[in-house]
Amino acid sequence: MIIADDSVLFREGLARVLEGADFVVAGQAGNVDDLDRLLALESVSLVILDIRMPPTQTDEGLLAAKRIRQHYPNIGVLLLSHHVESHHALELLSESPEHVGYLLKDRVSDLDDFIDAVRRVGTGGSAVDPTVVSQLLRRKRSRDLVDELTDRERSVLAQMAEGRSNEAIAKALGISPKTLEAHIGTIYSKLGLEPGGSEHRRVLAVLNYLRSS
Amino acid sequence: MTTIRRRVLQAIVLLVLALASLVELEHFWLPTIDRPPIRVLDDLIPGYAFALAGLIAWSQRHWNRVGTLMVGIGLGLLLGTGPVPTSSPLGEQQNFLGDAWTFFQLVFGLLWAVALFHLLLVFPEGRFVSRLDRQMVLSLYVVVPVSGLALGVLALVPNQSIDAYLGPASDRFAAVGITLVATFVYYLGCWVLGLGLVIHRWMRASPARRRSMSPVIWSLIPIVLAWLGPLETAGPMVIWGVWPRLVLVTPLLLVALPVGFVVALLRSEHEMSSVGDLVVKLSDGMLPEQLQPALAKTLHDPSLEVLYWLPTLARYADLNGETQSLPAPNSSRAATVLGDPGGPVAALLYDSSLRNEARLVDTAAAAVRLALENARLQVQLRAQLDEVQQSRMRLVEAADSERRRVERDLHDGAQQQLVTLLLSLQLAKAEAIRSSDSKTARLLEGSIESLRQALDELRSLARGIHPTILVEAGLMPAIRSLADRCPIPIEVTGELDRIEPKMETALYFVAAEAITNAVKHSKGQRICVNLCRSSGWASVDISDDGIGGADLSQGTGLVGLADRIAAVGGRLNVLSSHLNGTTLHAEVPCG
Repeated sequence: MIIADDSVLFREGLARVLEGADFVVAGQAGNVDDLDRLLALESVSLVILDIRMPPTQTDEGLLAAKRIRQHYPNIGVLLLSHHVESHHALELLSESPEHVGYLLKDRVSDLDDFIDAVRRVGTGGSAVDPTVVSQLLRRKRSRDLVDELTDRERSVLAQMAEGRSNEAIAKALGISPKTLEAHIGTIYSKLGLEPGGSEHRRVLAVLNYLRSS
Repeated sequence: MTTIRRRVLQAIVLLVLALASLVELEHFWLPTIDRPPIRVLDDLIPGYAFALAGLIAWSQRHWNRVGTLMVGIGLGLLLGTGPVPTSSPLGEQQNFLGDAWTFFQLVFGLLWAVALFHLLLVFPEGRFVSRLDRQMVLSLYVVVPVSGLALGVLALVPNQSIDAYLGPASDRFAAVGITLVATFVYYLGCWVLGLGLVIHRWMRASPARRRSMSPVIWSLIPIVLAWLGPLETAGPMVIWGVWPRLVLVTPLLLVALPVGFVVALLRSEHEMSSVGDLVVKLSDGMLPEQLQPALAKTLHDPSLEVLYWLPTLARYADLNGETQSLPAPNSSRAATVLGDPGGPVAALLYDSSLRNEARLVDTAAAAVRLALENARLQVQLRAQLDEVQQSRMRLVEAADSERRRVERDLHDGAQQQLVTLLLSLQLAKAEAIRSSDSKTARLLEGSIESLRQALDELRSLARGIHPTILVEAGLMPAIRSLADRCPIPIEVTGELDRIEPKMETALYFVAAEAITNAVKHSKGQRICVNLCRSSGWASVDISDDGIGGADLSQGTGLVGLADRIAAVGGRLNVLSSHLNGTTLHAEVPCG
């Protein structure tokens, strides 16, 4: 993988944490140009990059992420930021949720979760920050079907929106895979979503549902 | 030029005029085949017309070269050989006096035509518009007499001794031919180019300038016809029966220029009476806004502008208080500054062709003087208000950019360092776990948790100072993001594209403050935010279903918001009642 962030200390720290978890860090970039150069040289499966990069420190990272998705469809992109915005998340994921992740930088405080997200994005899955999901869940819609879900169903929905696999969700909530599948079935029918599809695809379905008003 | 010198000059001109008339009238008694008595009038009438119009112009506008040129043309016409030389003096054998006269005519006889060319190009201001004009005129002043001189010397000096220097007579006549043709081609070229320029300028001129150029344009007809005259014998135009008669009258048509000039002078005298109408209107009372159109009408210049002098700011401003400057000298605009010894009061800006009607302009300006003083006070107030508004907007913009800077510093500094610290603590914790030091690992876990909370707080602080999403994605996503974080459900409706950043910031902080107030004080259950854009205004409505009680006149929060919105030229309204909750309506201009 490649790590792109304008702070060298953060890059180094993150590289050491990830190498401790048996990832191979092929290169580090301090700006978008260096990142492009590395991408041309190295064959990697994941790029971790900060949204705010030089020179304007606004959304260079976001634009770079979109570019990478376009030119290298098999490379995952995990965007990190000090602030997460559902606006950016939806913009990123609405095209294709595969190989895309968007997390708060602070998520490194829960290392297992963070590494799980890195692994998911690297292998074609998605990772959406829980803050984004909870914001979307709180959005007031005129005809709100989310209100009709039970608390347990809502936490399943949130975990699904974050991009987690069935296995991980069942483990996190302490329920059997069978019970989980029953919950998922109920959620789909209550919200009027098409059942089926891969775990990646359903992130988009759930996010799209949450976005619509 | 002093009055005495002018008087002396005028007397000399009159004397020469009388002499010239005598010379010209001689033809009545001694008619030649080429110049029947009636053709003498061709020179006499335009000659007198130019000379007299020139004298009048001198007496009225002695600073203007137009008068001098017209006097010169008049004298030239009377002394010269006429607009179209009909006979070649070369063939005639005369006595010494006759030869001297012919020689004089050869050298100076056509200068009046060059002066006419000069006049056409500089009318009505009396100065050259372009360098090309100046070069053409000056070169003709040199080329025409010099070639006349060469012609005279080569053709007229009969002394055989000169043959020794200049070769046999036949060679000399060949040289005369070449000189004549070359001069004629250059002369004709200048005329064609010059007339083209005059017509081009007339077509592009402002209405006021066209009016003042009209004598020149009318006189172009006889000039062009006079040039076509010699072609009469050469081409098929002979068939055109009226042509010879037309050519007969054409030199007389040159009178159009001096007559048109005098008519324009008389007209401006007549227009003085329109100043009287202006005074009557003024006595009925006139708003500052009506002054400029009234003056424009009186002076027949729709482009006229009134500028007011603002002593405190030491600059001119228009009625709206916006800074304006006086035109540069020699530009297409002219200015008259009105004032007293204490300094200027106002300035009138008009088309520079109005310079020739200085008396009319001065009289009209004097008539509106008092009204201008009043108007100036109003303009001064407006300008000061404008200044205050500008400075208020600058203050708000400075505060906003300071907020952005602080947010960026937090982001690049504290937040980044704390996250890096978080990583180090993670590494330390992993190390502690590897060395089975569970106590240290637990301590580190506690530190990680506190650090995460600190980061959360820092994040919401940074967001409150200036949300980056506002700059990156605009007002709509920023307000959605605000709503997503609010403990009370917020419904965001409407649509609003990107507008100017300072307008977005103003509306954003109104919405943020209104939502905070609604959460803290309204006791409502839900909030609605609606954004929309219509007819040049972008607006945000924030309403809650709470207990009301918000008032613009109480509490600094709402007043601060109203100030912020007003600083960018917008408005804030508050509607609050016990029954319907509180609604804030903020709108800003968005082009």
